[in-house]
Amino acid sequence: MTSSAAMAKRAAPVFACIGLLAMWQVASLVLKNDSFPTAIEAIRAVPSILGDKESLINIFASLRRMATGFGAAMLVSIPLGLLMGRSAAVAAFFNPLLMVIYPVPKAALMPIIMLWLGVGDLTKTLVIFLGVSLPVIYHSFQGAKAVQEKMLWSGAAMGLSPLQRLVRIVLPAALPEILTGCRTGLVLALITMITSEMIARQSGAGNILFNALDMGQYDTVFAMIIIVGAMGICLDAIFERVRARLVRWSEPQFDIPLSFS
Amino acid sequence: MKARQNGRGSNDAPHVCEGDGLSGRFLAKLVLLNVRASETRYGMTVVAARSSEWMRPVTSQEPASAIIEIDRVSQVFQTSARKDHLALSDISLTIEEGAFVSILGPSGCGKSTLLYIVGGFVSPTSGMAKIKGHAITGPGPDRGPVFQEFALFPWKTVLGNVMYGPRQQGVRAAEAEAQSRALIEMVGLKGYENFYPKELSGGMKQRVALARTLAYHPEVLLMDEPFGALDAHTRTRLQNDLLTIWERDRKTVLFVTHSVDEAVFLSDKVIMMSKSPGRIRQVIDIDLPRPRRRNELLLDPRYQKYVVDIERMFDDSDEAGPAL
Ligand SMILES: Nc1ncnc2c1ncn2[C@@H]1O[C@H](COP(=O)(O)OP(=O)(O)OP(=O)(O)O)[C@@H](O)[C@H]1O
Ligand SMILES: [Mg+2]
Repeated sequence: MTSSAAMAKRAAPVFACIGLLAMWQVASLVLKNDSFPTAIEAIRAVPSILGDKESLINIFASLRRMATGFGAAMLVSIPLGLLMGRSAAVAAFFNPLLMVIYPVPKAALMPIIMLWLGVGDLTKTLVIFLGVSLPVIYHSFQGAKAVQEKMLWSGAAMGLSPLQRLVRIVLPAALPEILTGCRTGLVLALITMITSEMIARQSGAGNILFNALDMGQYDTVFAMIIIVGAMGICLDAIFERVRARLVRWSEPQFDIPLSFS
Repeated sequence: MKARQNGRGSNDAPHVCEGDGLSGRFLAKLVLLNVRASETRYGMTVVAARSSEWMRPVTSQEPASAIIEIDRVSQVFQTSARKDHLALSDISLTIEEGAFVSILGPSGCGKSTLLYIVGGFVSPTSGMAKIKGHAITGPGPDRGPVFQEFALFPWKTVLGNVMYGPRQQGVRAAEAEAQSRALIEMVGLKGYENFYPKELSGGMKQRVALARTLAYHPEVLLMDEPFGALDAHTRTRLQNDLLTIWERDRKTVLFVTHSVDEAVFLSDKVIMMSKSPGRIRQVIDIDLPRPRRRNELLLDPRYQKYVVDIERMFDDSDEAGPAL
């Protein structure tokens, strides 16, 4: 690949952003609607939000909940998915349970969880945890199931115990698939984070957004959308870099979809 | 022991090696490394025993002892049609320590299954397999498999793969690395230490798989059509390399193959199996001198006779096929 082609590839997402903002600008100028500020107005409102201490505390609270929920989900879901992939009994036990939970929108469970656990951090973190868990479990399961049996036999012949085989063979062998699940999970974490703050308003990025909406501060609403969107893009790009680095051994180099690396 | 008596006078003198990837020097170095490793691991008292075992002269006069005994083993598989499929029927077999034994037979006759039973990966429906008098209940580092599918760890480099076994056995990292590097050199992959399996060709992967298994010094090598997927040239090279390694340290080898030439060229004993149900048809002792050199052997009428006879037996069994 020539360097100019590589540059073009790197710059493509930037052009996509600029294109999107330009379309927004034109659309809002044409529509002339009070509740639809232009892109430039919205971008101008960004620094005032990021400069405000109260807003920053809110945004960090959101990110903290998201990180906790995401981290807890990985800690539980990866081992569970791997176990399900390697043990028919574990899979038979959890599969029906997951099949029931899977199609239920996790945010729809929030009222019940709020009833039990209140409107604080715990409820929101739990909802994020639930939202992230399923794709991570599913991909870990698929990854573990696909591990070549002869690889495990080779390990067993070297003297690895069943637990060691799970940690030292199944986990790395399934890592590419697991990380694909985690990447989906990360985006879902952001979505459930905002949704949870929309339902249980108290603090957070979602809270700023919906308060502004109530008060008719539309430039702040759109500025928050830009901030949350940018957070999502950055997190995904960072995760993608980490992922690509961790599974360099597995992948042909050029077919990384949606990457900013 | 039969195999050793056959190795007429080849004793301890380093052979001139045919396999281009190999050199006697590296092998000697490897032996030294191994001895040193056992010194640090087991202390002085055990060293003598271990190193002498490793260096045991080829002409030693001790009686042939059975290392693997397979006693009336049968294997039934439940197929998806819920019919029982008799893959192995009443197999009894004794393999002597240090022997190179090939299993030859038509596809689906249960060669792999038999190897997996000895490996402890599959437990037989009836009968039992023993190693050194103990019943085989599971896999262990005394039996090292080399699979046709390679089954390398793709997240490890060549060096990482080869070091995996010794590290698991508690060999210190520096020692394991030194031994592994010597092995990698021995199988002709010097310079590829930091390559990942996906970056290697089939023949190279097979070499890594062999080195990975040799690295933890199993007493018995279980090789399932290790050269089946390779082109003729690579196959010949690897056969030569394997023979050189084997003639050096006389591990017991159980070698599954489709190829009559390969079986006769490599083995002390060829076990011919027949299909549905898998049975032992005949056991043939291959009485050819060692060390064996390909170019000499191909011209040897005795070699040619073995190949022709075994091929004829297969043809006979094909004709008798429907009756089975
Ligand atoms: N896990 C299994 N479940 C059901 N049937 C099996 C299983 N493994 C093997 N078989 C059957 O047992 C028989 C012997 O299989 P095996 O793989 O041992 O043959 P093979 O001699 O190694 O053949 P090939 O030379 O083609 O590798 C075959 O008929 C196969 O269909
Ligand atoms: Mg087979």
